[in-house]
Amino acid sequence: MNKLLLTALLSFVVSQGAVAGELVKMKGSTKGRVNHEFIYQDGCQSCHQGSGKKNATDAACVECHGDINSIDVDETKLAIPEADPHKSLHYNQGASCLACHGEHEKKAPVCAECHRTWFEEM
Amino acid sequence: MQGRRNFLKLAAGATVGGVAATLPGTVQAKSCGEISWSETVDTLVVGSGFAGLSAALNVKRQGLGSVLVLEKMQVIGGNSAINGGWLAIPKNPTQLAQGINDDSPEELIKDQIISGRGMHNEAALRQIANHALDAYELCIDTGVKFKKDFNIQVGGHNKARAIRTQHGTGGDITTKLYEAGVKEGVDYRLQHYIEDFIMDGQQIIGVKVRKNYRFPDLKTGSSVFIKANKAVILANGGFARNMALREVVDPSLDPTLDCTNALGATGEVTLTAMAHGALPVHMNLIQTGHWGSPDEGGFGWSNALLSIGWHQGAAISVLNGKRFMDERADRKTCSEAIMKNRYQDGSPAYPIVLFNYNNYAEDHRVTRAIRDKMAWKLDSLDDVAAQFNIPASELKRSISEYNTHVNARKDPLFNRKMDTAEVLTGPFVVSRIWPKVHYCMGGLKTDLAARVIDGRSMAPIKNLYAIGEVTGGIHGEARLSSTSCLECLAMGIVVSTTIKADLKGAV
Ligand SMILES: Cc1cc2nc3c(=O)[nH]c(=O)nc-3n(C[C@H](O)[C@H](O)[C@H](O)COP(=O)(O)OP(=O)(O)OC[C@H]3O[C@@H](n4cnc5c(N)ncnc54)[C@H](O)[C@@H]3O)c2cc1C
Repeated sequence: MNKLLLTALLSFVVSQGAVAGELVKMKGSTKGRVNHEFIYQDGCQSCHQGSGKKNATDAACVECHGDINSIDVDETKLAIPEADPHKSLHYNQGASCLACHGEHEKKAPVCAECHRTWFEEM
Repeated sequence: MQGRRNFLKLAAGATVGGVAATLPGTVQAKSCGEISWSETVDTLVVGSGFAGLSAALNVKRQGLGSVLVLEKMQVIGGNSAINGGWLAIPKNPTQLAQGINDDSPEELIKDQIISGRGMHNEAALRQIANHALDAYELCIDTGVKFKKDFNIQVGGHNKARAIRTQHGTGGDITTKLYEAGVKEGVDYRLQHYIEDFIMDGQQIIGVKVRKNYRFPDLKTGSSVFIKANKAVILANGGFARNMALREVVDPSLDPTLDCTNALGATGEVTLTAMAHGALPVHMNLIQTGHWGSPDEGGFGWSNALLSIGWHQGAAISVLNGKRFMDERADRKTCSEAIMKNRYQDGSPAYPIVLFNYNNYAEDHRVTRAIRDKMAWKLDSLDDVAAQFNIPASELKRSISEYNTHVNARKDPLFNRKMDTAEVLTGPFVVSRIWPKVHYCMGGLKTDLAARVIDGRSMAPIKNLYAIGEVTGGIHGEARLSSTSCLECLAMGIVVSTTIKADLKGAV
C-alpha cells in the first residue's frame, strides 16, 4: 500500500474530529480503531500479512506510523518524564508495537506489568 | 548407533505432533526421518537477556558466520531489561578513583564462597570474576552509561565494587547491546518460542520454533524448524515464574508468592534440555526476597522503602495487631515468619510495616511509594486499623508496648537490634508485605567453558551451550547481589571463544 496515501487518509480521519485510537465496532463483531477505518474497508490483508488468518506483525504499523522512536507521545500526560513508552529505558527500539497496542481490543501495555499505576489500558 | 535411533524417534514424534498436517511437506515422513528446515543459521541463541545479547554480539565478533537470536516475548531483554542495573566489577575505574586498590577477582570470589555455603563452584566463579573487566569494557564499548562517580558496597560484598547504570535499570545495558548487535549484523526475532530441540544423538542440530507466538498462548503462531550448523546457545534465563515447577522443587514456595521476574521466566527450555539428557543441578535453590509488596508488580519500590521500615519501624500482623518477627533478621527467617500470616482458608493475611512519616517526607523512597499507591500516609493508628482491618485496640496496645521497647533499646519479644528503631507517633507511612520469588540458583550443569553436560555420559552435548540464569551450580545456596549481570555478560564472552575453539577441534 502506498504510504503517502495512507498518511493522507490518516490526517483526514483525524481532522474530522474523531478521537484517534478509539475502539469501535468495525465489521460484524470485529472491533477496531477509528483511525484505521479505511483499512477495514480494504480487507484485513494490509495488516495480516496478506491473509486475515495470519497474525499481524510490526511491519504494517511501521509502514504508516514510522518506527517506535519517531512516534511522539504527549509528554504532558506522563507520570514522570522517564515514563515515555516510545523511548523506554528498558526496551527502547527493542519493543514490538504489539507489546502495548492491540487493534481489536483494549490492552494493558507491557510497562503495566510492574508500574501498575502509571499506565492505563490502551 | 544409539544416537541415530534417538534422532529417528524425534523426527517421527514431530510428524505425529501434527506439524505435517498443518504445514504439508514440512516433515518428510520418509523412513530416514529427514526434517525440512525452514532456514539455516550458524549460531542460534535462545533468549535476549544479558546472556543472550552478550553471546550474540561476541559470537558475531568472532567471525563465525550468521547469528540469530530468538525471543518468545514481544520485547527484547527478559529479566535483564527490568533489572536494577547493579554490576559488580573488581578494579573498576570508579573504585580505583575512590582509592580502593586492594580489590581483585579473588576478593569477589571469597565473598561468593561465603554466601555459597559449600554449594558453589569456585572454578566457575573464578572463570566469571576473571572476565569482569572484559564485561565492563563490553558495556563501555557499546555505549552503556554508568552513574558518575558511583561505586558502593552492596549486601554480602566485603568491598565497594558495585557500579550502577545511569538510570538504575539493566535496560541501560540491554538496549545498547541490542542496538550494537543490530548494527553488526546479528538477527533478532521476537515472538519466536522454542518448543523443542532436534538432536542427532548427543549433538544438537537445530530447534523447533513457534513463530509469531503470542505469550502465553501456545496455540498461536505456527511451528517451523531452524537448523543451527555450529552452535545453539541457551540463554533463556530462570524459571521463577513457573509456579508448578518451583513448588515441586521447593514446596515452601506456594503460589501465593508473587515473583519479581519478567513474565517469560518460565523455564520450559531448561526442562526441554533436561528431557534431552542435560543434567539439572540445584533446582531447589531458589532465592526469595522478604521485601515484596503485594500492591505493585515485579520488584517495585518495596525493597527500598522497607530499608526504612525494617530499621525505623515495625511489622504488624493484621490478624491480631501484634508484632510477629525480628524485622532485622535475614531473608529466609523473615520470609518464613511473614508467610505464617494467613486467614483460615490459607489465603495471605498480608502483614503491614509502618514507620513515622515526618522524618522521611522528602525521601524518594517514600514519595515514589506513595505516588505509586503501594504505600499510604495515614495520620493515626485508628486510620491504620480501619484501612487494613486490624483490631484497633490491639494495634494501639502493640505500638505502645513497642515504644517502651524502643526507649529501653531492648526487644524482649524478638530480640531485635533496636539501635535504629524510632518511637512511633504518627503520621505513618504504611505498606503491606509478602515475600516474592527472585532468582534461581539452580539450572543446567555446564563445564567451565559453558558446554551443557549430559547426565548419562557426563560429557558435553555437542554444539549445545548454556549461560546466564539458566545454568545451575555456580552460586550455591545464595547468589550475591550484582553478580548475575556480571555472570551473564562475562559468560557471553567466554562462550564465544569456546565455540571458536570447538569448531577448530572439529576440523
Ligand atoms: C527485578 C530484578 C532486579 C534484578 N536486579 C539485579 C541487579 O541489579 N544486578 C544483578 O546482577 N542481578 C539482578 N537481578 C538478576 C538478573 O537480572 C537476572 O538473573 C539476569 O537478568 C538473568 O539474565 P539472563 O540473560 O540469564 O536471562 P533473562 O534476562 O531473563 O533473559 C532470558 C530470555 O529468554 C527468553 N525465553 C525464555 N524461554 C524462551 C523460549 N521458550 N523461547 C524463546 N525465548 C525464551 C525470555 O523471555 C527472556 O527474554 C535482578 C532480577 C530481577 C528480576
